[in-house]
Amino acid sequence: MTAGGGLRRLGDRLVRYWRRFERGHELLLVSRWRQGLRREARRRDDTLRTLLLLESLGVDNPVAYETLDAVPYLVADFHEWHRRMGRDEFGDAGVCC
Amino acid sequence: MPAIVMVLIVGVLFYLGYRYYSGYLARRVYALDDDRPTPAHTMRDGVDFIPTNRHVLFGHHFTSVAGAAPIVGPAIAVFWGWGPALIWVVAGTIFAAGVHDFGAIVVSVRHKAQSIGTLTREVVGTRARVLFLLIIFFLLTLVNAVFAVVIGNLFVANPEAVLPILLEIPLAIGIGQYIYRTRSAALVPSLVGVVVLYVTILLGQALPISLAGIAAEDGLFTERNIWVVLLFVYTFIASRIPVWVLLQPRDYINSHQLFIALGVIGLGVLVGWDTIVAPVVNDQAPADSPSWFPLLFVTIACGAISGFHSLVSSGTTSKQLDKESDARYVGYFGAVGEGSLALGSILACTAGIVATTADWHAAYSDFATASDGATSNFVNGVGHFAANLGVPEATAVVFAAVVVISFAATTMDTGVRLQRYIVQEIAEIVRIRPVSRSLTLSGLIAVLIPLVLALLPGGGDAGYTFGVLWQLFGTTNQLTAGLALSVIAVWVTKNRRNPIAVLVPLVFLVVMTTWALIDNLITFVAESEWVLAPLDAIIFVLAVWLIVEAALALRRARGVARDDAGDPQPTELTER
Repeated sequence: MTAGGGLRRLGDRLVRYWRRFERGHELLLVSRWRQGLRREARRRDDTLRTLLLLESLGVDNPVAYETLDAVPYLVADFHEWHRRMGRDEFGDAGVCC
Repeated sequence: MPAIVMVLIVGVLFYLGYRYYSGYLARRVYALDDDRPTPAHTMRDGVDFIPTNRHVLFGHHFTSVAGAAPIVGPAIAVFWGWGPALIWVVAGTIFAAGVHDFGAIVVSVRHKAQSIGTLTREVVGTRARVLFLLIIFFLLTLVNAVFAVVIGNLFVANPEAVLPILLEIPLAIGIGQYIYRTRSAALVPSLVGVVVLYVTILLGQALPISLAGIAAEDGLFTERNIWVVLLFVYTFIASRIPVWVLLQPRDYINSHQLFIALGVIGLGVLVGWDTIVAPVVNDQAPADSPSWFPLLFVTIACGAISGFHSLVSSGTTSKQLDKESDARYVGYFGAVGEGSLALGSILACTAGIVATTADWHAAYSDFATASDGATSNFVNGVGHFAANLGVPEATAVVFAAVVVISFAATTMDTGVRLQRYIVQEIAEIVRIRPVSRSLTLSGLIAVLIPLVLALLPGGGDAGYTFGVLWQLFGTTNQLTAGLALSVIAVWVTKNRRNPIAVLVPLVFLVVMTTWALIDNLITFVAESEWVLAPLDAIIFVLAVWLIVEAALALRRARGVARDDAGDPQPTELTER
């Protein structure tokens, strides 16, 4: 084993330890703040979802034609949304579950 | 006695409390069951509800509950001698705080991780929800008032700490922007932030900032009061800024400071082998000093038991608990961590500040001097421990001041943010729509009421009023804990388990808090304190209301438990 190879392995090991420490640090100190940001993003998504689904709530949506394109993007997490809103299953068959 | 001996004795007692008493609570009182899935699994959404490793969750929980409060209370309370303060911190942590923090997590987990406010309505009764809001309102008002005074006093005593604290604001914003824009890990920027902050301490020593030149000697415009006004202006603005801009990156710096400060105290005590020079019981206190009984139990709230922890336990921690048995480690051990901070404060103020007993008696000559100088005493004590490790003492004192002020400033920022919501919710209940719908108006109310309280003495004997304000803060904190313990006791009783471990701290807290409120009320009326007397009276009414609600709820719970004993079918009110 050469001295250079030994040093390289030591360096790799130190980098691995550092990365592990960095991950632990992110989990410990950063993740709880990230949750706050995700919560805020989710709140805004919910507002947008409500606006897009106004017609299903019986309210006229004057820009329904323009916002139709955005609906597919919100279908993906529609199931998660109605469960979070307290309904384990969503009304009409074929909508999501 | 060498301070390290005290550390070892308390360490052993905390270990025994965790090992045996929390084990008893887990098995017999809270009946933890790892086969029962927690809300983090059943309601998993990747945002609020997410199963989290127990060590990480402990880190989240501890950094959320630890702040300046467990430092200030014991720093005042050692006025009566270190014996009563230490006994209350140790006994309170083991038999009250551990039961409370641990129990709040468990009850919340068994009720779909609902917050203690919602649980109060569900478990105790609808009226109790209003009671909860009012107690939290006064708690936050007094938190903001006392921490403004704490920072004001520290700025006056340590003008070298002003510049580092001012520079910490753009530093934190810069770190936040860097992490946000580069999407890099927070470790290196946070560490750089801590190092730069400590470098600014040297700058601060070269450029101390004092308002003595523009302040009056006494009256309303004392140096401390000008700082207090400036702090509330800052807090009003800071609390309107999105959390990720300032509060979040400053928390990265503060979290590191928390661990650095704990390390400095532990290592400093070990290396310096300092001796406790304060008396076990202070027999040289002036005859007209307030009595330690029952005021000790409201002077030290955080560090012995703190109702604020139930808000964190049920608000966020319970939503991330991977399995029920983790509640013991996170909740009970979190309380032990807070008790350790209080122990650090007792050590700093009894072994760190001075070398002789006579000097200690000079620093704690009367209650006014003790309460006014409490935080400075802690700062000087920690400075001494840091000096034991080779840091120049003058620099070390500024370091300790920066740590405490950073914690207190973050507490004020968070306190005003929370208070805005409480003001809006109360305004909604009493139908004052302009307030409930305006963030600015509710923010102004959240800032102006504590500002008036903080300025109340108008200079002069400010210290005495600070001590009293601190005790009033303690009473609201203990009432919040009382409310949470009531919820836990009702739940334990309904499930036909022995609630004695919860009832003893509940009754003790309620009796001591009510007693302290009556004691203070008599003093306020005798001294014609016509702002503090009504405030004390209102909190006293809340305490009586709490006793009535808790007694009624417990009576109902015993009835439910008796009915269930004859009926094997569980009812909606029992275990969920």
